[in-house]
Amino acid sequence: MALIEVNNLSKTYKKGDNVIYALRNINFDIQEGEYVSIVGKSGSGKSTLLNLLGGMDTSATGGVYYNGKNLLEMTEKELSYHRKFTVGMIFQSFNLIPTRTAIDNVKLPLIFSNYPVRLRETRACELLYNMGLYNRALHYPSELSGGEAQRVAIARALANKPKVILADEPTGNLDTATSSEIISLLQMFNKKHNITVIMVTHDKETANRVSDKTVLLSDGEIIKTTVNQKK
Amino acid sequence: MKISDIILLAFNNLKRNTFRTVLTMLGVAVGIGTLSSMVSLGRGVSQNISSQMSRNDLFTGLTISSRDFGFDSSPQSSRLLTTERQVVPLTDSTIYDLEQKDEVAVVFPELIKPAVIVFKGRSVNANIKAVPVKMGGFYPFDNIKLGEFYSSESEPCVVLSKNVLNRMGIYTDKVSSEDPSSVLMPVDSVIGADIEIITKIFDIDKIDLITSSKKQLPLKNDTTILRVKGIVETNSFSAGIFSDGIFLPTKTCEYIPCIDLQNVYDIINGNSGKYGKYNSLHVRVKEHSMLKKVKNEAEADGFQVFSIGDKLDDFERVFFMLDSILAAVGIIALVLSVFGIVNTLLMAIYERRKEIGIMKSLGATSSQVKLIFYFEAAMIGFAGGLIGVLCGKIASAASSRIANSQLENFIDSNIEYFTYSWEIVLLSVLFSVVVSIAASIYPAGKASKIDPLNALRRE
Ligand SMILES: Nc1ncnc2c1ncn2[C@@H]1O[C@H](COP(=O)(O)OP(=O)(O)O)[C@@H](O)[C@H]1O
Ligand SMILES: [Mg+2]
Repeated sequence: MALIEVNNLSKTYKKGDNVIYALRNINFDIQEGEYVSIVGKSGSGKSTLLNLLGGMDTSATGGVYYNGKNLLEMTEKELSYHRKFTVGMIFQSFNLIPTRTAIDNVKLPLIFSNYPVRLRETRACELLYNMGLYNRALHYPSELSGGEAQRVAIARALANKPKVILADEPTGNLDTATSSEIISLLQMFNKKHNITVIMVTHDKETANRVSDKTVLLSDGEIIKTTVNQKK
Repeated sequence: MKISDIILLAFNNLKRNTFRTVLTMLGVAVGIGTLSSMVSLGRGVSQNISSQMSRNDLFTGLTISSRDFGFDSSPQSSRLLTTERQVVPLTDSTIYDLEQKDEVAVVFPELIKPAVIVFKGRSVNANIKAVPVKMGGFYPFDNIKLGEFYSSESEPCVVLSKNVLNRMGIYTDKVSSEDPSSVLMPVDSVIGADIEIITKIFDIDKIDLITSSKKQLPLKNDTTILRVKGIVETNSFSAGIFSDGIFLPTKTCEYIPCIDLQNVYDIINGNSGKYGKYNSLHVRVKEHSMLKKVKNEAEADGFQVFSIGDKLDDFERVFFMLDSILAAVGIIALVLSVFGIVNTLLMAIYERRKEIGIMKSLGATSSQVKLIFYFEAAMIGFAGGLIGVLCGKIASAASSRIANSQLENFIDSNIEYFTYSWEIVLLSVLFSVVVSIAASIYPAGKASKIDPLNALRRE
């Protein structure tokens, strides 16, 4: 059975009498350990899809199944559990809390998951170390470069050992060199730790290079799914 | 999420805008300070003043008699009235029965003898009254400041009322300006000095059974010399029985010979023995509220009861009104500080919208978000309440002192107008925390409903 099954997923936005289809009848499966890229033009519904997969949004029709359970029918509690333990989200704008240091940002999800207090420091240090940020632990987000900030965000997303990483244009704000650094990190976690990665990008080339599968969205519809054998 | 986590998160959030946090805390401090001061003022006034008053004979004392208290006390009218009803005699068993009542603190027979007092070469008419040793625990004898109360029923001593001394023109503190003949005597020279008590007794030699034409009463003087042991003073809340006269131990008083005029009338009217051993009993109830019950019971038993206290119920209603007004003032202050908390938290929500979105995207539940806000409010409430209550305590102690210095000529000074007990301090802080949390319910609910998707969408 696939880890994630998306069935007939549709989402509309109503603006007055206008109905905008952000997603229209989406169907696909994702296996555990897969690296999937979602590509498409701006406004094609990529973020909408990713937010539905992350349990950030449930107002859609159809189904988003993780291990057979439909996210769209989950209670508030189940959804926060999903966000805490099943997925880790990474955003284009990093979304670090500016008033907390790097290590405190990484510790935040450990607070919500009731991770043992005495192990938090070790866990956060270990994550930052893996990101090559050990010497940035006490820096505030404003004191970090874009690449460093995104690596802190990845460390934070991985804190509670999620099965799936959802990355919405993680390199959108970064230069090419830093972007490939971030992509390599995601690749590394995908390969070494068997973490499923779903990444939104509009860089088709990178998508095809790094991912097992590329999903092309246009106007809320999947118009093409490419399986990248060469990987 | 552990409590320590919540406290840390809340603390960091408060620290972020220290100025606003401090202002909000001060708002709470003012509210709680006002409320707790008002409550303790209300309690202080009604408790301390009313306890001052209700310790007094005015509010807790009653006189029980077999006779009518005809204020027109001519023998004839008293005879007419008493023949209309069954007379219940006052005996030792009456005293015993009264003492058995839970409400009754003390009972003793009133024994009063008219006399002339000679002291330091000055004399005055005064009643000598038997007051048992056990009255040393009751107003006004529990608070003798000059000298002391006696400790044995047969001690050859007296306690003088300050009034009697003053009527003789003797003052221990300052000389009266109205009485030119008045003298100042140090307390030491009054306490321990001898006092002469001159009473009238029958003089057999003067009794002329045949011709009662002689215009001289068959009486002669008897002099008893006793020692002054203390001086007792009553305040303006006293009913007056102990305001004037001189007070003697029961046995000592009984030994002093004196004609009993009441007895003479009883003999004339053929009522001898009808009223029992005692003329009247003085009864003290434990609390003012019990006065009516004891009075009613004694009346039901057929006694005549006299008290002023039972007509003074109104003062309790006045205190209740005072309490209510003070509480209302405090509550208004508190409501204002509650608005401060609500406002601060609502502002915090707008500032921290994105942060709350991030926390939710990391798996924070709505209740965890709420808890952080509750704790922020609770911490504001705790600190503000503590500051408020401590400032209130200091301010009220100061104003109590001022009030006492202003009022010392009217009532006993050193009344604590504020009962600012540690209990009130504790309860106020607790109340402050509870009210603050209550104030945070709406903002916290609002915060917990923030949609992470909306909050994280880039503008
Ligand atoms: N909150 C919203 N209200 C109305 N329309 C929205 C909203 N969010 C997204 N949309 C619309 O849904 C479509 C998909 O948006 P999105 O998923 O953000 O696209 P992408 O991430 O691919 O650029 C767009 O047409 C966008 O205008
Ligand atoms: Mg997008």
